[in-house]
Amino acid sequence: METLQKLEILSSAAKYDVSCSSSGSSRMNTPGGIGNAAKAGICHSFTEDGRCISLLKVLFTNSCKYDCAYCINRRSNDIPRAAFTVKELVDITINFYRRNYIEGLFLSSGVVKSADYTMERLANVAKQLRLEHKFNGYIHLKAIPGASPELIHMAGLYADRLSVNIEIPSEPNLQLLAPEKDFQSVLNPMGLIKTGIEQSREERRIMRKSPVFTPAGQSTQLIIGATPDSDRQILTLASGLYTQKSLKRVYYSGYNPTNLYDKRLPALAAPPLRRENRLYQADWLLRFYQFGVNEIVNDTNPDLDLEIDPKLGYALRNPHLFPIDVNRADYHMLLRIPGVGVKSAKMILAARKFRRLNSANLQKIGVVMKRAQYFITCNELPAASVQDLSPERVRSILTMSERRKQLPDAVQLGLWG
Amino acid sequence: MLEYQYDGTFPGLLTAIFDAFNRKEQPDAILRPGAQGLLFASVYAVETSEEKADRVWAGIKRVGGNTTCEHLYHAFLSLDEQVEMAIFSYSKHLFACNAPVMTDLAHPDVLKVHKLDRMVLREAHRVLMFLRFEQAADGTYFAPFAPQYDVIPLVIGHFKSRFADQSWIIYDTKRGYGFYFNTQTIEQITIENPTFGSATGKLRQGTEHPDEDKWHELWRSYFKHISIAERKNLTLQRNFMPKRFWKYLTEKRL
Ligand code: SF4
Repeated sequence: METLQKLEILSSAAKYDVSCSSSGSSRMNTPGGIGNAAKAGICHSFTEDGRCISLLKVLFTNSCKYDCAYCINRRSNDIPRAAFTVKELVDITINFYRRNYIEGLFLSSGVVKSADYTMERLANVAKQLRLEHKFNGYIHLKAIPGASPELIHMAGLYADRLSVNIEIPSEPNLQLLAPEKDFQSVLNPMGLIKTGIEQSREERRIMRKSPVFTPAGQSTQLIIGATPDSDRQILTLASGLYTQKSLKRVYYSGYNPTNLYDKRLPALAAPPLRRENRLYQADWLLRFYQFGVNEIVNDTNPDLDLEIDPKLGYALRNPHLFPIDVNRADYHMLLRIPGVGVKSAKMILAARKFRRLNSANLQKIGVVMKRAQYFITCNELPAASVQDLSPERVRSILTMSERRKQLPDAVQLGLWG
Repeated sequence: MLEYQYDGTFPGLLTAIFDAFNRKEQPDAILRPGAQGLLFASVYAVETSEEKADRVWAGIKRVGGNTTCEHLYHAFLSLDEQVEMAIFSYSKHLFACNAPVMTDLAHPDVLKVHKLDRMVLREAHRVLMFLRFEQAADGTYFAPFAPQYDVIPLVIGHFKSRFADQSWIIYDTKRGYGFYFNTQTIEQITIENPTFGSATGKLRQGTEHPDEDKWHELWRSYFKHISIAERKNLTLQRNFMPKRFWKYLTEKRL
């Protein structure tokens, strides 16, 4: 089969893995080598669905011995199958890289023969790129559940990032859709990777030249909407992965109706993009805004409000915390003001050392005053706050102006990458 | 009304600042050649002096540190209409406080410089994102680009460490100059008889490497197949990747 045809098949087959990030690693170029990693990552293009292309994201092969209900590559699907040779993959990666098309490679695969057999192939591509071609660009490899610790360790020595996808957010639903899999088989490699990272960090503290192990850490992906799991279940799982497994990223992938013949799957008309977007926002609250899961979702609100973002939702449920004085409040509280992002919170802290800030200053710094005005006091007469107006009133004012904008998933801007 | 005229260079502007301090004057405008002058203003013509410029620059560095210097220089590259006065007032504020002021964002000129700095850096970052190399028949990788601001010099270091084992040319087609890297050193060049089309910068037929078409085809095919049709959102795509860059993009160019 021609390389072009393989690339078509094996990139189409990889597109549902939403991660394309090239961030988190600052690998340097070596003498006579090619490439380096940019800590913040670089997007090189954007697909027609508006997602960043940073890496060459392909499967090694789309043949698979498993039959997971939600996957286009499942063995019972009658589709063209292909497999790259190591040389083909290396060639494409290097030549794309030299033209500044990509930051590197994200290689995943269906499971052929055995987990070890597959893992070894993936690790070998990375090894060849690093050792024979002195390639120092970004490499993200999929860790195959069930692969031996040695192979996962080898992969981690050459990769910048490893990931194992959980896909289905709860054990019983995973059992239903992928009876051949279980949570433990996914959590095991995550544990191995975590230990590898910690060990290498420890060794490098003592000997600076010790090898790095997946400097950009590990990530995973959860499919949203293929199962009845609530946002609370999903976010609790994510939060546990961040704190206990030290994951760098959890990706949420709105279920794209595939394999419609399989009656275990819901009949969705379209992928649940809005919900996916709200989950990303909630995820940001967990990672950058010092929120706990229970502040975002709880018994009374197990699912995120699709109409308003989760931070506004929190503020409207807790009007007694507002208005907040932007000239006094600490970072933690500034971050809770709707309309104030991480950047503007930091700018407020820095700027107010020089002088007291008024609403015009805030506006110019980048605070979205249209939202923030109900939740703050600053250096002037206070406007009507959420306490004066009632949460319901503020909610209806803000959702009205939101609806007028009608930008599909506008908030998603800036969340990818 | 007092109007300073300078030669449009950065040392020229620094000289203007020096002179204003020295003459204890507060100009109402500092104008580069071609800028719209003030009515009935008295004009002072600044004569660029490396020595004066160096002294101002050293002063800014001493009080504000390297970061302040970078902010001011990046802001200058924006060629914004008010950038000269913003840099002048910023410097006055800096020297009056005798401490870095870059986070005094409620000060209008500090904020202005801050915003222009960001804007220029965003454009520089877009060069990293959207620049594309094509390999020429002799093996050199060629990349044309026409950034909105003169930012190619800011990103050359990135390409030098990344593509250290290939010879390349990055050429600013709008400003008519570029940089050539021969895998050892970088030199600034001007191309007299271009073998690339002036609109897209694409190498002319016959001057590109025989394999080049193959890689274009593979990349375009990848670009197409990695997209999810059910999630199509062209507005989002255009927000991230403004149309003005499409002419350089192998995957978007017709
Ligand atoms: S193991 Fe992976 S590739 Fe194979 S069917 Fe399941 S999800 Fe798809």
